[in-house]
Amino acid sequence: MIKMEHIHKVYRPQSNPVNALQDVNLHIKSGDFVAIMGPSGSGKSTLMNVMGCLDTASTGTYWLNGVEVSSMNNDQLAAIRNRKIGFVFQNFNLLPRMNALRNVELPMLYAGIDKEERRSRALDCIGRVGMLNRLHHRPSELSGGQCQRIAIARALVNNPDIILADEPTGNLDSVTSQEIMNIFLSLHQEGHTVVLVTHETDIAAYASRILLFRDGRLKTDEVISSSPGTVANLFINGDAL
Amino acid sequence: MNLTESIRIALDSITSNLLRSILTTLGIMIGIMAVIAVVAVGQGGQQTIMKEMDKFGSNLFQIMLDWRRDEPPTGNEFTMQDIEIIKANVPELKYLLPCASSYSQIKKGSQIKTAQILGTEADYARLHPLDITVGRFLTKSDCQSRRRVAVIDEEMARELYPRDNPLGKRILIGNQSLAICGLVKSDSSPLALGTKYVYIPVRVWLDIYPDGNISYIEGSTSNLEDITVAMQNSIKILEKRHRNEGLYQGVDMEQQIKAVNKVTGVMTLVIGIIAGFSLLVGGIGVMNIMLVSVTERTREIGLRMALGARRRDILLQFLIEAIVLCLLGGVIGMLLGIGCAFLIAALAKWPPLISWTTILLAFTFSAAIGIIFGILPANQAANLDPIEALRRD
Repeated sequence: MIKMEHIHKVYRPQSNPVNALQDVNLHIKSGDFVAIMGPSGSGKSTLMNVMGCLDTASTGTYWLNGVEVSSMNNDQLAAIRNRKIGFVFQNFNLLPRMNALRNVELPMLYAGIDKEERRSRALDCIGRVGMLNRLHHRPSELSGGQCQRIAIARALVNNPDIILADEPTGNLDSVTSQEIMNIFLSLHQEGHTVVLVTHETDIAAYASRILLFRDGRLKTDEVISSSPGTVANLFINGDAL
Repeated sequence: MNLTESIRIALDSITSNLLRSILTTLGIMIGIMAVIAVVAVGQGGQQTIMKEMDKFGSNLFQIMLDWRRDEPPTGNEFTMQDIEIIKANVPELKYLLPCASSYSQIKKGSQIKTAQILGTEADYARLHPLDITVGRFLTKSDCQSRRRVAVIDEEMARELYPRDNPLGKRILIGNQSLAICGLVKSDSSPLALGTKYVYIPVRVWLDIYPDGNISYIEGSTSNLEDITVAMQNSIKILEKRHRNEGLYQGVDMEQQIKAVNKVTGVMTLVIGIIAGFSLLVGGIGVMNIMLVSVTERTREIGLRMALGARRRDILLQFLIEAIVLCLLGGVIGMLLGIGCAFLIAALAKWPPLISWTTILLAFTFSAAIGIIFGILPANQAANLDPIEALRRD
């Protein structure tokens, strides 16, 4: 699904170069549930941006679902973001003037999907996150957890290859965080590929694989079992945090 | 992203900040309002003048004394004999007639009225579309035999004879008693300014005013092309007979219409320039607020890009918003302008003329301003870096 080879990302290459990513090689299979962890400045956000086609790598190649995206132009990248990637953000990023339904329909507008199909697909996805009774509410009338559910529905609506979630529980209390993580878990069980950036170990514990970054390099790549404590051990062993 | 959705987003954004949007577009509103009002009133005035001129027919000309001459008039510049000689020597002419006019009193018993007393001939009715409602106009035999008759307009008749039939009744002009032989419909056009007319045979007029003289002569040709030649030749004969070159000047309707069009053309140009400036100022206001809008909505732009908006989708969204804003101002300005036009026209007493061209022009202009002044902010929005934009508060 995702294949990265020798990915380097250098910011400000002329004046004051910062190596945000250095020789990252990784492979994420279809249906994986991957958590990316690391302290701030470790390069996990940069990786997320490159993976989400919001940014391009300085060097190296990136294949998404067999298509090389590292050499694409802006419009092509926009199309990839639109159809292949579903973003979930820490601060939800719902448009405040639109109701839940229209927020979920938004990616389909850029995909050129007609009105009726937009409506039916949006309703389907909102149903999957259990928010059908809040269709006409604006984000300001919804709780944080409800906003994030709507944001997840929006991420699903173009049936993307991967769901990229950047600290999706960062602004939520622990109970709501669990609810949201359970949604990701069930999406994973339905066969979706989920990539999650977090710095919380209990959130990362929902994933089946953890990539640990430090100083722009991939430190450890561990597949974890579902038994509790595994993640904690990983950090002790990997000396991550 | 389709157009209706873009317009919906634009309207959302405009209405969510309604006061600011209205203030922003105020410049456009006032500009368009001014243009519509002035053009409507101007065109209405022009149309009124043209209608007036049309009454004469474009193959009509007048020869009068050149008002730029140095010596005072002798009172002998046009004679009845001149007219006969010109008629005989200028074959292009269809009609040629003298006009002697004075603004003076009419008496009926103790009643005194004032009117324009026009001494002319029977053919006057052929050159001017007079509407004879009762009786008849002056005839050739009236004029030849100096019959003491007068044609008065209906307004005058109503004032003099509110109850009786005025036909055959006598009025006193100067020292002459004249019988009313016909009524002509009053000139109701705003340019007539309520002047009342009395038409009498020119020879009678000269009898009434022994010191008066023929003020001008009027003529027409069968063919429009002959008008200049006929006029010039008539003037030449007059100059020869009176041994005075440069004493006369001729004006034909064609020239007059051209002159009016030239004046209105200049007026339109001046208005256009003023309107252009006011719309320019309005456009800068729109650009300014659109730049603010782009800054305020940086996160939204970043999000839209993350969700798959291409740069041109963002560009179009903000461009459409600027256009919708300007069109909104344009439409409101247009309605206000039409209102103003009716108000001004009611005061000026002529109908405003709101043409489709004006409305279309106002529409196109507001949209064009939206495009011109929207392109910079829209371009700025489209060139945002999605990562930077998403990070912005």
